[in-house]
Amino acid sequence: MDMSFFESKMGRGLLFGGLTICLLLTPTFVTDIYILSIFNLMIIYAILCMGLNLILGFTGLLSLGHAAFYGIGAYTTAILMTRFGFGFVAAFCASAVLAMIAGIIIALPTRKVRGDYFCLITLAFGEIFRLVATSWIEFTRGAMGIVGIPIPKIFGLQIVTETHFYYLGLGILTFTYLTLRAITKTRYGRAFIAIREDELAADTMGINTSIYKIMAFSIGCLYAGMAGSFLAVYQTAVTPSNFRLEESCLMIIMVIVGGMGRNLFAPLAGVAVMTVATEVFRSTAEYRMLIIGLIMILVLLIRPQGIFGSSSFKN
Amino acid sequence: MPILETRDVTKRFGGLVAVNQVCMTVNNNEILGIIGPNGAGKTSFINALTGIYKPSSGQVFFQDKEITGLPAYKIAKQGISRTFQNLRVFSNISVLENVLIGAHCRIDNPFHHIFLRPLRSRKIEHQAYEKVIALLKNVGLEEKKETLAKNLAYGEQRILEICRALASDPQLLILDEPCAGMNSMEMDTLADFVKKLRNEGNTIVVIEHNMRFMMTVSDRIIVMTAGAKFREGTPEEIRNDLEVQKVYLGEQEAERC
Amino acid sequence: MLGEVILVGVMVGAVYALVTVGYSMVFGILKLMNFAHGDTYIFGTLICLTLLAKYNIHPVLAILIAAIAGGGLAFLVELLVYRRLRAPQHRLISMITALGAAYVVQNISELQWGNQVMSFPSIVESKFVTLLGLQVSVTHIITLFVAVLCIAVLILFMRYSRYGKAIDCVSQDMDAASLMGIPINRVVSSVYFMGGVLGVVGGVLYSSAYNAVSLGMGFRGTLIAFTAAVIGGIGSLGGALLGGMILGLSENLIGVYVSSSYRDPLLYSLLIIMLLVKPTGILGNSDQTKV
Ligand SMILES: Nc1ncnc2c1ncn2[C@@H]1O[C@H](COP(=O)(O)OP(=O)(O)O)[C@@H](O)[C@H]1O
Ligand SMILES: [Mg+2]
Repeated sequence: MDMSFFESKMGRGLLFGGLTICLLLTPTFVTDIYILSIFNLMIIYAILCMGLNLILGFTGLLSLGHAAFYGIGAYTTAILMTRFGFGFVAAFCASAVLAMIAGIIIALPTRKVRGDYFCLITLAFGEIFRLVATSWIEFTRGAMGIVGIPIPKIFGLQIVTETHFYYLGLGILTFTYLTLRAITKTRYGRAFIAIREDELAADTMGINTSIYKIMAFSIGCLYAGMAGSFLAVYQTAVTPSNFRLEESCLMIIMVIVGGMGRNLFAPLAGVAVMTVATEVFRSTAEYRMLIIGLIMILVLLIRPQGIFGSSSFKN
Repeated sequence: MPILETRDVTKRFGGLVAVNQVCMTVNNNEILGIIGPNGAGKTSFINALTGIYKPSSGQVFFQDKEITGLPAYKIAKQGISRTFQNLRVFSNISVLENVLIGAHCRIDNPFHHIFLRPLRSRKIEHQAYEKVIALLKNVGLEEKKETLAKNLAYGEQRILEICRALASDPQLLILDEPCAGMNSMEMDTLADFVKKLRNEGNTIVVIEHNMRFMMTVSDRIIVMTAGAKFREGTPEEIRNDLEVQKVYLGEQEAERC
Repeated sequence: MLGEVILVGVMVGAVYALVTVGYSMVFGILKLMNFAHGDTYIFGTLICLTLLAKYNIHPVLAILIAAIAGGGLAFLVELLVYRRLRAPQHRLISMITALGAAYVVQNISELQWGNQVMSFPSIVESKFVTLLGLQVSVTHIITLFVAVLCIAVLILFMRYSRYGKAIDCVSQDMDAASLMGIPINRVVSSVYFMGGVLGVVGGVLYSSAYNAVSLGMGFRGTLIAFTAAVIGGIGSLGGALLGGMILGLSENLIGVYVSSSYRDPLLYSLLIIMLLVKPTGILGNSDQTKV
C-alpha cells in the first residue's frame, strides 16, 4: 500500500479531520448500548496505553504495576466522591495528581536499580496495592469494593448515559494525546528515547537519566490516574479485581501489539484488537489467560515491533 | 592555557590498577593524542574524566573548576563531549534525532514552557533543528537525516557519533579510537575532518592505535602503558623515542601472533 | 513453641531453597526472569497429586514421574518461548514472553484441575515424635531431609561433574563457552529441565507437608523464588540456600507470632527492600559494566 499520501501534510490533515469527525459522530450511528460500552472500554484502555507507551515504548521501562496506578486513580475518585463529597472535576484532578506522585515514588529506584529488577519492584508494588485494597476493609471496603459512586457533574452537566461517558472519555483521550504529542516532540521525548536506546550514551549527552526516567514514568502514571478516575464514575463502583497483574499485562500487550514508540496512535490499534478479542472470547472465559498468554508470546516472537510500531525495544 | 587538567587520577578495579596516577593537561585549541597498547588504561582514563567511572583517587579540573567524580551528565553539560570506542549511536532512531539528542543540553526549553509558552518552546526546538541540519550538512550526512542510524555504513556511523558529540558545542571533544574498523581512505578523510575541527577552534583529545593517523593529526602525544603515563612529547619526539618503539613493537608482535 | 516454629521455618526454608535453586540457576545462565517457574512446578505437583490420588501409584514413582513432567515442561517452555530471545538486548522482551508462558501454563493447569485449593495426601504417615524436647512431625523431618539431600546432590553435581562445570562456564560467559565447544543449547535445556525437576520436588514436599495444593501457589512460588534469589544473591547456589532459609524462617515467625495475613505483604516488601538496598543480594558481588 502506498503510504506516502498519508505522510504528506495534506493527507495527514485529511485523515485526522476525517477521523475526528467519525469519532465525534460515533454515538449518532452507534445506538447499541453494548457496542458503545465497548467503545468506552476502549477509550479507557487507550488512555492507559498511551501513557504506558511513554514508559515502555519511549523510555524502555517495563512496568508490571500500571494497573496499580490506574487503581490509585479509581480509588481516589471513589473515596473522595462517596465519602468526602468531592465533585467529579476535583476528584479527577486529585486522582491524576495522586497517581503521579505514587509514580514518582515508585520510579525513584530507577536511579540505582537495573531494568529487570525495576520491573520486579513495579510488580511487587502492584501486588501490594491489590493486597491493601483487598484487606484494608475500613478504607477500601475490601473485596466488595466501593459502590454507589455518584453521578459526575461537569460545570452543571450531568454525565449519565453511555453517550455522555463516551464524550467525556474522548475529551480525556484528546487531552492525553495532545499533551503527549507536545511533550514527545521536544527534547524531552527525545531524551526518553535516548534512554531506551542506550542509557549510558544518553548520560554522556548531558541527559540526567535518573530524573528523566522518573519523569516519563510518573507522567505515564498521571494518565493512568485519569483513566482510573473515569472508570470509577463510569462503573459507579470499583473493586480490587479491576487492578490485577493481569490488567497490567493486558495493557503491556496492547501497547506491544499496536506498536511501541514514536507513533502515539500505534498502541490504539493494540487496544482495539485486544478489546475486541477479549469480548469475542468472553463466552470462553476459562481460556482467557491462555489466549492472552499466547498472544503475548506469539506477537513478541513473530513481530516484536507490533502492528504499527516503528521500533522494537532494541534490535 | 590549559582547559583540562588531571592530577594523579587513579582508577582501580578490585586489585587491578587500570589507571595509575596520571597527570596531564589539555591546552586550548590543540589536538592531544593518547596512544598506548591495548589494555593500557586509555579508555578507563577517559571514562574517569567523563564521569562514567568515579576516579578512585586524584582530581580533574575543567576550565578551572573541579569536576572530579561528578555524574556524566553534569560533566557533559559543562562542555566535555565524547565518543565511544565501541560505537554507541542510538541505532533504532534517525540520524537527525541522534544529533538532536546530542544537542539536548544546549536546547534551553524548560518543561513547563511546553504548555505555558508553546510558541517559544516550538521556536527553540526549531532553532535546534536548524543548527543540527547545518551540522549534518557540514559532515555530508544531510541527505540521510531520516535514515535509521543502524542502516548507515560503519564509517558513517562513526562520523554520526562524532557529529552527535559536536552538537552540544563542546569545549572539549574526546574521541576514543575513532578509526577502529575504518579503511585507510576513511581514515584520511577523518584525519582531515579532525584537523578542520581544530582549525575551527575546537579542542580535541584523540585516543588511537593507528600511528600514521596519530602522527598526522596530533599536536602533542601522550603515551600510556600499564595504566601510567609513560612519555609525553611532540609527534616527532614520540616517533624517535626508542623506548616507545619497544613498547609498540612488542605489541605489534603480539598482535601478529 | 519457638523451637517448633523455627524447625518448621527451617523446613519451609529448605523447600524454598529447593525451588529457588532451580530458578537461580536459570537466571545465572540466561539472566532471564523466568516468570513461568512457579506455574511449571505447580503443574508437576498437580500431576503428582493425580497420580497419587487417582491412580494410587507409589509415592516415589509418582514424584519421579511428576518431576520428569515438570522438568519436561520447563524444557519445552525454554525451547519454544525463550530460545529465540536469548540475546541480552532482548531481556525485557523475554520477560514479557515469560509472563505469557506463565499464563499459558497456569491456564492449562486450571483447565485440568480448576483453581480451588485441593487436599494433597501425606506421602508419609503423619506422626509426631519428640526430638530434643520438641514435638515435631515426621513429615516435616522427612521433608527437610529430602530437601537438604537434593540440594547437597545438586551442589556436588555442580562442583564435581563435567556437566556442572560446563554450566558454570556458560553462565560466566556464554560466547566464550560456545567457542570452547560447549554445546550451549544442550546446557541451557538441561538447566531448565533440572530447575523444573527440583521445583516439582519442592512443590510436592511443600504440598504434602501442608496437605494442600492450589494453582495460586504457582505465581506465589515464582515470587518466592525471585525474592529468595534476590535476598541471597541472584544466580548463586549458596545465595539461593540462604535466601530460601531467611524467607522460610521469617515467614513462619511472622505467620505464627503476628498474623498469617502478613505473609504476602512481607514477601513483597522484602523483595522491594532488598532490590532497593542491595540488589546484588547478600552473597552476590557487584559488577561494573565495561564501557
Ligand atoms: N569495568 C571494568 N571492570 C574491570 N576491569 C576493567 C573495566 N574496564 C576496564 N578494565 C580493565 O582495565 C584495563 C584497562 O582497560 P582499557 O582502559 O579498556 O584499556 P585501553 O583502552 O587502553 O585498551 C584492562 O586490563 C581492562 O581489562
Ligand atoms: Mg580502549
